[in-house]
Amino acid sequence: MSSDALKKRKPKVLRTEGGTPETKRGRGEGDHQDVRVYSEEVELDARDPEQDFLQYKESCESLATLMSEIQELKANGAKDGCAEVEQRRMQSCIHFMNLKKLNRLAHMRLKRGRDQTHEAKQRVDVLHLQLQNLLYEVMHLQKEISKCLEFKSKHEEIDLVPEEEFYQEAPQDISRPQLTKNDPHQLTLARLDWELEQRKRLAEKYMESQTTREKIQKSIEVKKEHLTSLQPGLNAIMQASIPVQEYLSMPFEQAQIQTEVARHLPPPLYVLFVQANAYGQACDKNLCVSISGDVEEAKALSKPPEDSQDDESDSDAEEEQEKTKRRRPTTGGQLDDKRREMLKRHPLSLCLDLKCKDGSILHLHFYYLMNLNIMTVKTKVSTSTDLNTVISAGDLLKSDTLLSCLYTSDQGQETPNPANRYQFDKVGIVCFADYVEDLGHPYMWVQSLGGLHFPKDPSEGVRVGSSLCASHMETTMKLLRGRLLSRLALHKQFASLEHSIIPVSSECQQLFPAKTISRLARWTQSTLQDYMELPYTRHVTDAGLATETDLYFMSVVERGTAHLQAAVVLSPRYPEVSPLFSLSLSWKGERSGRTDDNLRAMESEVNVFKNELQGPRPGRQLLTNQFSRLCVCLDVYLETEGQDDSVEGPREFPREKMCLRTVRGPNRLKPFKYNHPQGFFSHR
Amino acid sequence: MGPVELLHMSVFSQSFSPCGRFLAAGNNYGEIAVFSLSAALSPDATALSQKPVLTFTAHEGPVFSLLSTDCHLLSAGNGEISCWSWSELIKKNVKPLWTKRPNYKSSLEIPEINSMAINSRDNSLVFGGGDNNVHVLDLEHGVFKSVLQGHSDYVHCVSVRDREAEILSGGEDGAVRVWDSRTGQCVHCIEVHKYESCARPQYGKWISCLTTDSDWMLCGGGPSLSLWHLRSLSPTSVFPLTGCQRQTTFYQDMILAVGEGPAVSHCLLGGEVKAQIPCTPQSLNTLQLNTNSTEHRVLTVGGSSDHIDVFTNLSYRTFSFSF
Repeated sequence: MSSDALKKRKPKVLRTEGGTPETKRGRGEGDHQDVRVYSEEVELDARDPEQDFLQYKESCESLATLMSEIQELKANGAKDGCAEVEQRRMQSCIHFMNLKKLNRLAHMRLKRGRDQTHEAKQRVDVLHLQLQNLLYEVMHLQKEISKCLEFKSKHEEIDLVPEEEFYQEAPQDISRPQLTKNDPHQLTLARLDWELEQRKRLAEKYMESQTTREKIQKSIEVKKEHLTSLQPGLNAIMQASIPVQEYLSMPFEQAQIQTEVARHLPPPLYVLFVQANAYGQACDKNLCVSISGDVEEAKALSKPPEDSQDDESDSDAEEEQEKTKRRRPTTGGQLDDKRREMLKRHPLSLCLDLKCKDGSILHLHFYYLMNLNIMTVKTKVSTSTDLNTVISAGDLLKSDTLLSCLYTSDQGQETPNPANRYQFDKVGIVCFADYVEDLGHPYMWVQSLGGLHFPKDPSEGVRVGSSLCASHMETTMKLLRGRLLSRLALHKQFASLEHSIIPVSSECQQLFPAKTISRLARWTQSTLQDYMELPYTRHVTDAGLATETDLYFMSVVERGTAHLQAAVVLSPRYPEVSPLFSLSLSWKGERSGRTDDNLRAMESEVNVFKNELQGPRPGRQLLTNQFSRLCVCLDVYLETEGQDDSVEGPREFPREKMCLRTVRGPNRLKPFKYNHPQGFFSHR
Repeated sequence: MGPVELLHMSVFSQSFSPCGRFLAAGNNYGEIAVFSLSAALSPDATALSQKPVLTFTAHEGPVFSLLSTDCHLLSAGNGEISCWSWSELIKKNVKPLWTKRPNYKSSLEIPEINSMAINSRDNSLVFGGGDNNVHVLDLEHGVFKSVLQGHSDYVHCVSVRDREAEILSGGEDGAVRVWDSRTGQCVHCIEVHKYESCARPQYGKWISCLTTDSDWMLCGGGPSLSLWHLRSLSPTSVFPLTGCQRQTTFYQDMILAVGEGPAVSHCLLGGEVKAQIPCTPQSLNTLQLNTNSTEHRVLTVGGSSDHIDVFTNLSYRTFSFSF
């Protein structure tokens, strides 16, 4: 109980003794106090805590006894100021004092102990820190060591010369064999030295070569300058020589320019250009190839690689559709633009001029439709003579029919590229034929010449590009030339037919008797419509031999009162496909080849047995010879007709032709076949 | 054969095979085409079955006459007669068994053979043509037995009366001559154009068709088609058909006739024209009834076309063969 009270009081004492407010009040007092505290401390050192503890116990016991004595005395009724009690109170006070001192000492001892512990702890901390440092140092050093161990020298990467070689080649002062033979480190050093030496030497050599190179370059430069200074002079010479070239027809200059321009041609036209040039040089000196069109535009076109137009047009078309929904009135113009874009031609075109022996020229202009990926051709014919006088020949040399059906059924009206169908659907093009007049004809052979291949028949061998072009070039050129010549020949024939003259060349004279009385009276152009309306041509149209591509003519052969009408179908492939005659005779009533066997025989005489009539190859006189034979046949027909003896008077057509028999066979045919040297007529 | 040649083709002669399943037809280019009737008449016939199973060039000139015997096909070309075996033709072997040419005098033009007939009495072939004569070829020995001379112009048609051993021939000269096949003598000569009921001077006088049946004879051409009674040698009925007739035949109690004009004429024996059935060619040269086979009993006609019309029923055209 008493110890508790002590403890409670103890902090107060401590505060009064070591509290900070006292130290702040004044230093002078502090010194005095220090001295006092110090003395107590010294005392403390001298005292034994065990003894103090015993003293404390004694004091406490004596206090307790004193208290109990006072208690007894009080209880016995002693007064407060009684001496005995006072004595005892005095004694207990002394004991209290003693206890106080002991308490103070204990506190001081505790403090000291604490200080000592703290000190020791600090020391331990320092030591610990030292230990840590040392450990770290060790680790670092270990790392360094391992780093050093792992170090790789650069020289390991250098390819050194092998040892033997080194000893052979290196001079003694570098190799130092006595040193290096046993010491690999020295050996390596020596080898590196040698390497360095060698490299230095090579570097020197390199520098030397560099200088010589520069020297040479300089000299080249000088020479170049010299050469470029020659260029204007040469150009001037070239310029001056152009007239000479032209005079000698050696177009070197032109060819050069052309090849330059040709680089900007689209691939199909380029294929055609190269192949046509090659063919012209090799086989056909009269073939002239030239490029026309806007080169600058083509250059601009060829710069960005042609992106696929399809994607663009795809999205465009969708947009288009949306737009049509929103704004109806303007769509027409937009569609027009789309169409124009779709049908756009490459700015460059290729012009092939085919010269014929008689001076007429067939100009072929080849175009490439970029977005449709097809080629088209336009044609023009220039002739040495004026041809406009012949009325019925108007269609013969017209651009859109001239090359029709060059190959069988190749009319050049529809696009050969099946993909175009879908492109057309998008922009509302119904039929390519509507644009043919503007764009030219996309004949199949044109695509072949351009190396474009659109397979229709799976059995066809697939060839594209130059080989396809080359395989078609010769035949096509021959066909083109043949077509032009045959058209010109036809033109001439028409000219004389219009004047009712049937020209017969000397080679063909033997085909006909010397005297022919029937005459051609009329030769006019006709149309398919008119032709089909004729009553005597139905069998031809039914057989599919009269088509839109053919040309139609009406002619009349006359003798006396007899008029023989002949409707002629002229194929564009004349003379390969011969003209087809249908006959109708008005003489003593109407009869036609359909009803009269003899007229039918006359038809077959001109239509079927045409091979005899072709004359010199390639048979361009066929048409006029057919007319000559028709006249002869009409003579025979009229002269052998009417054996009816009952009619009085002279015959209208006296028998002049020599015939073995006038009729033959079950259908009583007349002898239409002329036998040349003997001059008589016989039956087939 | 190009389209132009097809356009100008004429069919001159036809003959059914002995079995009746095939039809041979000759045209003006000297070709003979063999068509399969059984294929064309079968229910699953296609356009292809109306094309010939075999086409071959038999002669240089037109094939004016075709005739089938028990197992052979005889074809007449320019002055020559060829014999083909039907069994070989069906197997598509085209090699003539023989080709014979009578001894003609003229050398400038080889006379054609217009008509042939079989005289089964002595197994001989009677034919006439461009040399104005009727020739008899013994088929047993292959020799030309006799020449019946008398016509002044070429012979259009011949016919044989088996029972009477008579040969009849009609010619361009307008005469129908009746010959005794045993002696080779001309028994009668009927000049049809001199009978007023038959004569048609606007056409001419030639006799281009001639058919006999027991005592009856049909003849026509320049003169009108007329039915004659041979015992009395007088015309009993004249048929009012326009154009000249080229071939006729008796069929049951009717007469079928073809000629100029695109129709087959059905006539009654009394002289009326019962019907004219239109067909494809504009003028007709030949008509044949297939009596060799009951299941393929058809009438075929050919003319100035590459089509041969086939009639399964006499009253309308069923389909056409085409070269």
